[in-house]
Amino acid sequence: MEKRKKLIAFFKELGFAFDIARFDDRLIAQKLVCLLEFRGIDLGYSCSLYVRGPYSPDLTKDLFAFTPEFENLETGSRLNTAEKEAAGELGRIFGLKPVPLEVGATYGYYAIRQDCDPLEASRQVKRLKPFYSEAQIALGISKAKEFLYKPTRKDLEELKKETGIWQRASLKSLEH
Amino acid sequence: MQDDILSILNESEGLNAKVFSLVRLKLLASLAALGQDGATYRELKAALDINDGVLFANLNILKDMGYLTSGKITSEGKELELYIITTEGQDEWKRIRTWLCRFLHCGA
Repeated sequence: MEKRKKLIAFFKELGFAFDIARFDDRLIAQKLVCLLEFRGIDLGYSCSLYVRGPYSPDLTKDLFAFTPEFENLETGSRLNTAEKEAAGELGRIFGLKPVPLEVGATYGYYAIRQDCDPLEASRQVKRLKPFYSEAQIALGISKAKEFLYKPTRKDLEELKKETGIWQRASLKSLEH
Repeated sequence: MQDDILSILNESEGLNAKVFSLVRLKLLASLAALGQDGATYRELKAALDINDGVLFANLNILKDMGYLTSGKITSEGKELELYIITTEGQDEWKRIRTWLCRFLHCGA
């Protein structure tokens, strides 16, 4: 099955009513694909860095060549459990908003693809997207981290150990 | 086809010499990759690190040559200028790229 059919299934799952005439919709489509790729779900539209940030020229070609399919959500493809989970989180965390998606995808590109440390990745986002406010960038990065980094069971146990002392102390203070 | 340097240099006569400035080449290369989607002025300025005067002037020159078009779009409630490469621009960029590759002996 063509790769666009799987992407359309993601659009469907996200409730994304794509309109080719809207700049923001084309931007959302690009950043969704890149964020999914950085999370390990490769839809076949390889993302690289362009003046628009992380971007797939192949996706642009498909969006314009098969517009009715994207706009009418025509697909026979279905998402598996992991894909459904990723779509759910993408929708919950980013909510199909262009600015957080753009900032988040740019951060993801530097942090995951270029393996930059968080500080360097943030610096690169600010360099490439200086037209967004500090608050918009901070929010987008925070969302990207939530979407791209899933704490393992071991991480959670470590965190529990670290925060357990304060949690117990606060519970004790409630007793007084 | 002859591969001697003189032949390759003479092939350049088929190219538009006015495109051979670093800024214009950067703009054409950037916008060619984005096709019909285009890029906004602010994206070009930030990513290519070109100052306003130079960027605006060169975008207009490329527009006058028929290689770019521009128009207003709305993004997140803000009105922005979007630049898109035309078919003529894509063709010219393809010719330049092919010639540059031959010139640099990279096997195009």
